[in-house]
Amino acid sequence: MAGETRERTYTPRKRIQRRRRKVCIFCGAESEISYKDTAKLRKFVSERGKILSRRVTGNCAKHQRAVTLAVKRARHMALMPYVDD
Amino acid sequence: MRNYELALAISAKIEDAQRAEVLEKAKGYVTRYEGNILGIEQWGRKRLAYEIQHQTEAFFYFIHFEAEPTTPALLETDVRIMDNVLRYLIVSEEEYVPAEEPAVEEAPAAEEIPAAAEEAEEAAAPEAPAEEAAAPEAPAEEAPAEEPAGEE
Repeated sequence: MAGETRERTYTPRKRIQRRRRKVCIFCGAESEISYKDTAKLRKFVSERGKILSRRVTGNCAKHQRAVTLAVKRARHMALMPYVDD
Repeated sequence: MRNYELALAISAKIEDAQRAEVLEKAKGYVTRYEGNILGIEQWGRKRLAYEIQHQTEAFFYFIHFEAEPTTPALLETDVRIMDNVLRYLIVSEEEYVPAEEPAVEEAPAAEEIPAAAEEAEEAAAPEAPAEEAAAPEAPAEEAPAEEPAGEE
């Protein structure tokens, strides 16, 4: 830990710009988000069935909201699990 | 007038005729509250993601209709007390576009066993041979694994 922090103080700029920006896959694309399309929604839940965060999926706020709503609807209709063990 | 969709998960325990009755009843409710049915999507027998009333399968129907905004609330009061309806969902939709291959599935899927029903669904897609069907799945599986990795 200590070594790392020291390194950071020596080269601060390199560290900041390294993360590659993720682009929301729904922006610009024509694809819709529907609770019936479980194949697509499966990409946005973890193996346990939990909804993945925006940080992980890279979705924009608008489409993350749509995905969240769709997953919740799908769960209600038993098309997707609430908990997948 | 707005477009809505009423999704029904009907118990697979009952007879085919009984199930048709339930569907008719639901359609009756839609029209009673001045809904205009645009189309019905049928998914046939589908495995549930979790058990509902100790049942693992259900028949899925999606009734697309247009109605005034007051209709869904009234409709719900009736649908919620319907027998043999495991789950229902009323949502508004932008516009109703009939699905490409609903008619192909409905008849055979109703009587087949679950494993065979899944195969039938794949077979229902007319121009997708097994190889092609498998191909798009592979990147889909990779994608989520990749994303968290890139995060760190």
